[in-house]
Amino acid sequence: MTDERQTLADGLRRRDPNLLDRLIEQYQQRLYRYLVFLTGDTAVAEDLFQETWIRVLERGHQYNAKSKFESWLFAIARHLVIDLSRRKKLASLEELADPESSQPYEPADDRAASALQLLVARENEQAVQLSLLKIPPYYREVLLLRFHEELALDEIANVLSTPISTVKSRLYRGLEALKSVLPEGAA
Amino acid sequence: MTESMHTRAQRLLAQSLVEGLSANDQAWLDAHLRACANCSAEAARTQELVRSFRNVSVLVPRDLAARTQMRVRLRAQEASETSPSGMLLWVITAASWLLGVFSAPLVWRMFAWVGMRLDLPKPLLEVGFVLWWTVPALIAVAVVLYQRSTSRGARSL
Repeated sequence: MTDERQTLADGLRRRDPNLLDRLIEQYQQRLYRYLVFLTGDTAVAEDLFQETWIRVLERGHQYNAKSKFESWLFAIARHLVIDLSRRKKLASLEELADPESSQPYEPADDRAASALQLLVARENEQAVQLSLLKIPPYYREVLLLRFHEELALDEIANVLSTPISTVKSRLYRGLEALKSVLPEGAA
Repeated sequence: MTESMHTRAQRLLAQSLVEGLSANDQAWLDAHLRACANCSAEAARTQELVRSFRNVSVLVPRDLAARTQMRVRLRAQEASETSPSGMLLWVITAASWLLGVFSAPLVWRMFAWVGMRLDLPKPLLEVGFVLWWTVPALIAVAVVLYQRSTSRGARSL
C-alpha cells in the first residue's frame, strides 16, 4: 500500500499526464459527490471538480504519500469550496469554515432543497436524500466522509484540518440532525 | 428497566456507528436490545438510516471526466511552455545583478567623465546613474507582468 502511494506521489511530482487521466476517471464519482454534498449545487460542483484537478496537477509535489490520496484530494476540494464561499459570500458554504457551531440546530427551508433533488437516482432513498438537504453542510460533509467514503476518524480530521474530537462531535450531531429531519416511518 | 439503561443504549448505538464499541459494551448493548423492544426498533431505524445514506447516489455528468482531463492536459502544457522562460528570466536576472555589482565603479567613472566633458551638475549625474541601473529592471518587471496578464486572459477564454 505504501509502495502504491509512493508510486502515486512520484507520478504526481512528474505531472504524469496518464496518471492524472487515470486518477480523474477513478475518483470522478467520489469527488463529484463530495462537492455536490458540500455545495448543494451541481454547476458549482462541476467547476470545483475541474479546479480541484488543476490544483492536483500544480501541487502534486506536495502529496507526501503518508496519507491516503483521497484524503489529500478531498482536502484540496474542501479548501476550494471554502475559498469560493469567501469570495462569493455564500452563506450556506461559509458554514463549512465555521469550526464548530454553537448555535442550536434548525432544519433548513424545504425550498432550499431543489438542487440536489434533481440527483435522486433511487426512489426508495428519496426520504433520506431530501433530509440530507435540510441539515447543515458541515454535518453532511462528515456523514459523507464517514459512511460513504468510509474514512477513519483521523483521516476525516486530516481532510477537515480539525481535531478528532470535533469530528466525533459533528458525527454525533449529524446523525441526530439527520434523524430529526427524517419523516416518521422513513428509514 | 430503568430510564438510564435506555439512555445508555441510545448512546452506545450512536457510538457503535461513530467510534465502534468495546467487546463489553457491545455485549451489554446486544443483551439490552434483545430485551427492549423500543431500543431494538430504534437500533433498526438507525441501521436503516445509515444504509439508506450509503445508498444515496449522485449522477456524474457524462463528459465531466473527459472535459477535466482535457483541461488538465492543457494546463500542464501551458506550464511546461512557461516554466523554461521563467527559468531563463531568473538566470538573466542573476547575471545582470552580478554584472551590475562588478561594473558599478566603471559605470560611475564613465558618468563622471561624461559629466566633466559636458559640464553637467552632479545631481543630474546621480539621477542618470540610478536610472542606468533601474530602468532595465523596470522594463523586465513590466514584461513579466504583461506576460502573466496575457496568459491569464488566454486561460480564462
